Amino acid sequence: MEDFDVIIIGGGSAGLAALKHISALGKQAILIESGKEIGSKNVSGGILYSKNKEYGQVHNVEDIYGQKFLEEEPYERRITKYILNATSKDKVCSIDLTSIHDFQSNFGCSVLLNKLNTWFAKEAQEEAQKQGGGIVTGVHVKNIKWNNENTPIELDGGKQNSSTYDNSLIVETDELEEFRSRAIIAADGVNSEIASLLRAREKFSPDQLYQGVKVVIKLPEEIIEKRFEIGPDEGAAHLFSGDISLNQVGGGFLYTNRDSISIGGVYHLSSLLENPVEPDQLVNSLINNPLVKDLIQDEVPIKNIEKNLSKEEQTKKSFTISKLIRTWNELREIYYSPKNREKTIANGKFKSIEEIKDKINTTRRRLVEEFNTKFVTNYVELEYSAKVVPDGKRCMMNKPYYKNVLFVGDAAGRGIFLGPRIEGLNVGMDDAVRAAKTIIKYIKNNLTDPNIGEIYSQSIHESPYTRDMKKIDKDYLKVLLKAVKKIPLEDLGAKNNFLIRCMSNDFLRNFAVSTINKVGFYKFLSFVESPKIYIDIPILLAEKLGRKINTSTKFDIPELSERISKLKYYEDNNSHIIVTKPQIEFMKKMTVLCPTKCYSIEDQNVVIQHEGCIECGTCSKETSWKHPRGEKGIFFKYG
Amino acid sequence: MSLNVAVIVKLEPDFSEGNISYNADGTLNRAETKSKLGAHSSVACLAAFYAKVNYGANISVATMGPPMSEIALSEAQSICDADSLHLYTDRIFASADTLATAEVLKKGIQKMKENENENNNGIDIIFSGHRASDGETGQTGPQTAWKLGYPFFGNVIDYHLNLKDRVVTLKRLVVLNGMDNIIEEIESPLPVFIALDPSYKPSFTTLSSRLKATIFEKNAEKKVANFKSYLKMFDHNSLELDPKEVGLSGSPTIVYKVERIPKGKMNRKAEIIDGRDRNQIKNIAEKILILNGQYGRS
Repeated sequence: MEDFDVIIIGGGSAGLAALKHISALGKQAILIESGKEIGSKNVSGGILYSKNKEYGQVHNVEDIYGQKFLEEEPYERRITKYILNATSKDKVCSIDLTSIHDFQSNFGCSVLLNKLNTWFAKEAQEEAQKQGGGIVTGVHVKNIKWNNENTPIELDGGKQNSSTYDNSLIVETDELEEFRSRAIIAADGVNSEIASLLRAREKFSPDQLYQGVKVVIKLPEEIIEKRFEIGPDEGAAHLFSGDISLNQVGGGFLYTNRDSISIGGVYHLSSLLENPVEPDQLVNSLINNPLVKDLIQDEVPIKNIEKNLSKEEQTKKSFTISKLIRTWNELREIYYSPKNREKTIANGKFKSIEEIKDKINTTRRRLVEEFNTKFVTNYVELEYSAKVVPDGKRCMMNKPYYKNVLFVGDAAGRGIFLGPRIEGLNVGMDDAVRAAKTIIKYIKNNLTDPNIGEIYSQSIHESPYTRDMKKIDKDYLKVLLKAVKKIPLEDLGAKNNFLIRCMSNDFLRNFAVSTINKVGFYKFLSFVESPKIYIDIPILLAEKLGRKINTSTKFDIPELSERISKLKYYEDNNSHIIVTKPQIEFMKKMTVLCPTKCYSIEDQNVVIQHEGCIECGTCSKETSWKHPRGEKGIFFKYG
Repeated sequence: MSLNVAVIVKLEPDFSEGNISYNADGTLNRAETKSKLGAHSSVACLAAFYAKVNYGANISVATMGPPMSEIALSEAQSICDADSLHLYTDRIFASADTLATAEVLKKGIQKMKENENENNNGIDIIFSGHRASDGETGQTGPQTAWKLGYPFFGNVIDYHLNLKDRVVTLKRLVVLNGMDNIIEEIESPLPVFIALDPSYKPSFTTLSSRLKATIFEKNAEKKVANFKSYLKMFDHNSLELDPKEVGLSGSPTIVYKVERIPKGKMNRKAEIIDGRDRNQIKNIAEKILILNGQYGRS
């Protein structure tokens, strides 16, 4: 049997950071990813932060990947504008929360995970190969067992008894022969199979999860900059709460990418289960908001082919029109992007910007005049995606290990959800470096230290991110209150007004925060994360203080079936999900809450058709849920 | 113990949407249709790649065709990390049938013997695809093998080598007593000619071989960026071929007449259902229910 020191399971941002760091420290590590390519299974809402924390040091992306990350810019845009919008019908009240975004941060950038993780993989792979390690894709780990289950890790009077100690793990996959490893970093995401297999933690319950659903929308680069009033090196992030949430606890988001926009919602799964709403409807309600409409609309050509032509003629026409539309789109991508323009003019394809503009106009004219194509105001969707997000303050693993298996990032339930502040990527990457450092010590100890898990756990508890998941930061609250102070609050009712005034007082606020932290702030969550705070107050704000936005734009929003048909899958004949409790209430609600409608009811039993599954994990709690076999399942092109 | 592998490939039209172009009479417009490495040829390259990763093979890829066939060679290199690329191109090779093609390939492969490194006892394995996708020309492989005097094995789905004894063990699909997909296992001394079944997939079953494969994939990427430096061109002179034995004059095949296959008469009427229209779905569901009723199913 082949033998390795360290295996990392899962090629997301956290797993890759672990690989990069272990390799950079000169040791061999191998990362195993089940997707056909790195990045193909990853989805993110959005923002990767680099933090400058007050209570201890964190390992940021540029610490792991060096200056190269800042130079090659595998991210989308640096966010320089962070705005919270309270909505009610056509009224929107916008509050600038850029100070919250900037709080203890070096920078925060919007990302599309396929691109980002592909870049991380390139860097990590290069480093790993120097040490004889690397990345292997298309392999799905299905089981882990200890070489000798009868030899548990035992401490002999506080010291290890290494003579009886056998810590080697045997890894079974769907694709390869078994192999042995002396330590594992489990970075297999929020629906961690490794955690379930080892019973290292309970599966996350709806109360501990948020469901995020997103669409990526196409919009040319400089149009984005004009719309959002940002420069070429800037980006905007908008958060939404109020009536767009269709009475759910949670909110919407909109991030500018380089030449696309990520838009979606993140809602508490308990809230969704209480009052099920189709996830795509939550996205649609945001897209239909007048402010959003104004921000994302674009000119969209609509093919129009006369039905009275012969079939052959119709096909021919359709081919020609498609080609012209493609040309028109490509030219616009060049015209509205300074980099592309420069490149195209440099390689002599066009002489000047004007010439490109001319070509766009003539193509458009041809489409309209010769082919009867209509140009309408609409928007273009590129990809629909979903994932569940762990709410760290409710579900982070207190001891993120099991024997010599260390859990990092989402797999350990580590995500920060504090009102308008959502972080996951940077937390996972920080965990990964802590795990990597622990592993290096472990290797130096001849891979025998049974305390490896405890050492890692201590390091995790020293992380400022862990503190964020446990305690309210009084400085953060101060910044938040300062940001909302500008709003005239008289109209919000005496009770709310009184509360905010009290909290604005330094003494009262600090007293309240320390009391809450002492008691345990998770006890106050039902108050903070309540429909009142997430829905009622924003609606009130919007109605009393919001500006009215008039828009006559009507969007042709794609049906769910159209969204699914655009996705790329590598189909597996076997379902990776098995319905084990077909009659319980939870499963019945899945017929509404599954983002791709995989569930339906037949003869009072809930049944699954797994083909459209995008592996979000919403149904994971009450099903037998596994990742598809290697290379199979959804393939996200944007993520 | 060194292993020398040759792969013979073919440049073919890309039949995918957006790349294919037809003439007014419905025949393929070869000038406007893009070309790429044939699908079966890429399977042959995968088999060679397996030999590279597992047995450290030295790989040469060869093709006969017009100068633009170098596209096929570079694509092949990106799959199998080939060490040298051979292009047999000459005006007089044009209009060759499979036998005349095999003659060129034979000489080419014999040349590889002479040209490659010193401790070389010739090509040990030649890989080819199952057939071409733009013509029923699955006989090029077997004819080349025959001309070279190599044993030929077709429809191969797996193979392993014992380099010490220079023996190959391979599995191939055969039809026995009318039963499809029977797997026959054969052992043969090298050299051999192997034509891969389209279903062939290299089986890297250990983690270390998968890791090794990723390193070779990366190497291939680097090589392809500069593939012309691996490219060697040959004409009939450098291959020492008799002009009478190649091209049109070397082709005994006579195409008497090409008949277009007449369009079959449609005997069923299809109805297009728009999935977004609830009424249409309702109608079709009703029809299905009625049909089910007729056939006595509930």
